[in-house]
Amino acid sequence: MGETERLKRCINDLIGVLALPAIWTGSDPTHVLSTLLEALRGMLGLDLVYARMNGPPGEAPIEVARVAGADTFTVQAHEIGVMLDERLGADRRNWPPVTRNVIDGTEVSIVTMPLGLQGEIGALMAGSGRADFPSETERLVLGVAANQAAIGLREARLLSDQKRLATELDQRVARRTAELRASEHNLQLIINTIPALAWSARLDGSAEFFNQHYLDYVGLSAEQARDWDWATAVHPDDRDGLFATWQAIMASGNPGEGEARLRRSDGEYRWFLFRANPFRDENGHIVKWYGINTDIEALRQSELNLRQMTETIPEMLWSATSDGAIDYCNARLLDYTGCSAEAVMGSGWTKLLHPDDVEQTARVWISCVTTGAPYRVEVRVFHHADGTYRWCVTNARPLLDQQGRILKWHGTLVDMHDWKEAQEALRNTQAELAHMTRVMAMGELTAAIAHEINQPLSGIITNASTSLRMLAGDPPNVDGALETARRTIRDANRASDVITRLRGLYSKKEAAAESVDLNEATREVIALSLGVVQKDGVIPRTELAVDLPRVTGDRVQLQQVVLNLVRNALDAMSAVEGRPRELLIRTGRDEGDRVLLTVQDTGVGFQRESADRLFDPFYTTKTSGMGIGLSVSRSIIESHHGRLWAALNDGPGATFSFSIPCEPVGARVESLVSSA
Amino acid sequence: MIATRSLVSVVDDDPSVRESLPDLLHELGFAARAFVSAEEFLTSDCVERTGCLILDIAMPGGMSGPDLQHELMLRRRQIPIIFITANGDPTIRPRLLAQGAAACLFKPFSDTALLEAINAALGTS
Repeated sequence: MGETERLKRCINDLIGVLALPAIWTGSDPTHVLSTLLEALRGMLGLDLVYARMNGPPGEAPIEVARVAGADTFTVQAHEIGVMLDERLGADRRNWPPVTRNVIDGTEVSIVTMPLGLQGEIGALMAGSGRADFPSETERLVLGVAANQAAIGLREARLLSDQKRLATELDQRVARRTAELRASEHNLQLIINTIPALAWSARLDGSAEFFNQHYLDYVGLSAEQARDWDWATAVHPDDRDGLFATWQAIMASGNPGEGEARLRRSDGEYRWFLFRANPFRDENGHIVKWYGINTDIEALRQSELNLRQMTETIPEMLWSATSDGAIDYCNARLLDYTGCSAEAVMGSGWTKLLHPDDVEQTARVWISCVTTGAPYRVEVRVFHHADGTYRWCVTNARPLLDQQGRILKWHGTLVDMHDWKEAQEALRNTQAELAHMTRVMAMGELTAAIAHEINQPLSGIITNASTSLRMLAGDPPNVDGALETARRTIRDANRASDVITRLRGLYSKKEAAAESVDLNEATREVIALSLGVVQKDGVIPRTELAVDLPRVTGDRVQLQQVVLNLVRNALDAMSAVEGRPRELLIRTGRDEGDRVLLTVQDTGVGFQRESADRLFDPFYTTKTSGMGIGLSVSRSIIESHHGRLWAALNDGPGATFSFSIPCEPVGARVESLVSSA
Repeated sequence: MIATRSLVSVVDDDPSVRESLPDLLHELGFAARAFVSAEEFLTSDCVERTGCLILDIAMPGGMSGPDLQHELMLRRRQIPIIFITANGDPTIRPRLLAQGAAACLFKPFSDTALLEAINAALGTS
């Protein structure tokens, strides 16, 4: 072969090698290496050609080989690589450029070229049994080929990396998409199956979204409910109110709620609570509104039932907040007073009361609201129907929470005017009855006394008459007259005995000896005579000592005495005009372990000189009465080892007092009881 | 003489009346007997002979005056009766007179009132 010829071939080979990258575009590294090795083998007439491309760390390299006369190379390629590593050393950077080796008994020249400046891409190896291998031009061709391969492989690797990344990205996108789809499906399921009507709205308040449950409930499609069209399902009467509330909530920017009736798909309206919450972005600006509507029909119904009950119950009811402001009055109460609910609310209720009762009532109410004590007041309330004030009793109790704090007050108002009048009448009747009984008892007593006295009187008169007739006879029957005169004296003594016995009657010891609280006994007497006292226009006052010792005696007898003194006081004041009729009953300790009770009046009093005779039987200054009341009273007090006396006041009227020993201790009780 | 004197019987539980009244009746010219109770009078032999009966109204423990009056009516024994009583209830008098009593005297009564009543009862004057 001539030099020219060889150069021509070399240039052709170089052009062929330089053209390779054009056919490599878009190829994978194996294809790049294969075409390279095919081209080199053909050009240079090589017996053996081998190339490898390093894989990513930890992965096997891609190895390709061509051997002259062999059809398949892939299996051998790795073996060739292993053999090269064994013979030339593991570090490819130290491989000598040309070595001579004996392979399978044939001497072969082997040329190695790094792919990439440091062989970082891989290595190219060419072997030939020709003695002149490699020639200068062959070396050049191999060098250019290695260079081209390095470029091609770099591109191919870049490409395959891109492909791999793209695939991986595609897979991840597909996976994420599937996940998202699943989670979105799940969310959709939740939104559409929660037992509530859920929705979202735009900033202008128009509807953006309804869950399926909502749409099913009102029987509208999403299209039919969009924007403001959902309002067709709201009860016409509630629409304006709900819109107003909705605007107010949006204006406030805070969570809010409103109530309205929604039409169900079957046409029935039911009450719903509409609740909305704002959704804000990271800057705090409201982006959307989310809401839920809850069916409160049952709640409304029970509220309605309760309201119906409070409005139909035949009682006057009211309630107040924990701080005492009235917040509800039922219609019956408003009708009674003729006031509007607005007028009564808060502290307006005082307008319903008689002006004279307002201050006292308000004071009690404030005290109860502060302490939580049950509230009960008798008060005159304006009655609209006849324009009068009528006596009512109002009662209220606090509703407490578990910590005992007052939540509310619930109260009643009851008209007790008629009852109070009936009570008054009853009290008067009782007083009259008591008086009647007293009069009748007095009548019976009078009859008994008369009978007892008349018997001996009868004897006196009969005997005296007989005696006179005997003396007037002719001859006079002196013996008979003496006898009958003696009988006269005897009967007179008998009459005197009767009087003595009568006096003894009141000091007779039928009296029980019990422990008596004189204060309590006195209070009973006052309660009993209160009707009469008030009717007479008398102002009764009591000053009962707190630490009054008890006394031993007959409670009923002592009460008779007190009653008698009170009645005398009332009688003494019945004619008094132009000055207050005052009755003062006092108890207290007296000296010497005694208890004192005084009844002081502002009546007509008594003649100073007759003070001693007041207590005599049958002495009286009254036109009615026997004059034995004070006599009996003194007997009773004396039987209690006590003393009863009267004194004129410095001012008008008189004071009657008694003093009895207070309850003895220990053995003294025994002795008193046994002597009694 | 004695046979012509009318017998006036006194029934009263009060001993002073039983003691004093017969003496006065003797002085007034009547025969007199006294009995402590209605039962004693009814069992005596004086029921048929009595011309006038002075009778206490209330006698605890036995028949009352009106009871005796009723009993005598049942026996068809009509004796004029003068009731006497220490109970000063004036309403009792018209009731007793309406029921056939000859008179009703409240103790203490005078000898003349008694004599008038007896005479009226016996139909003499």
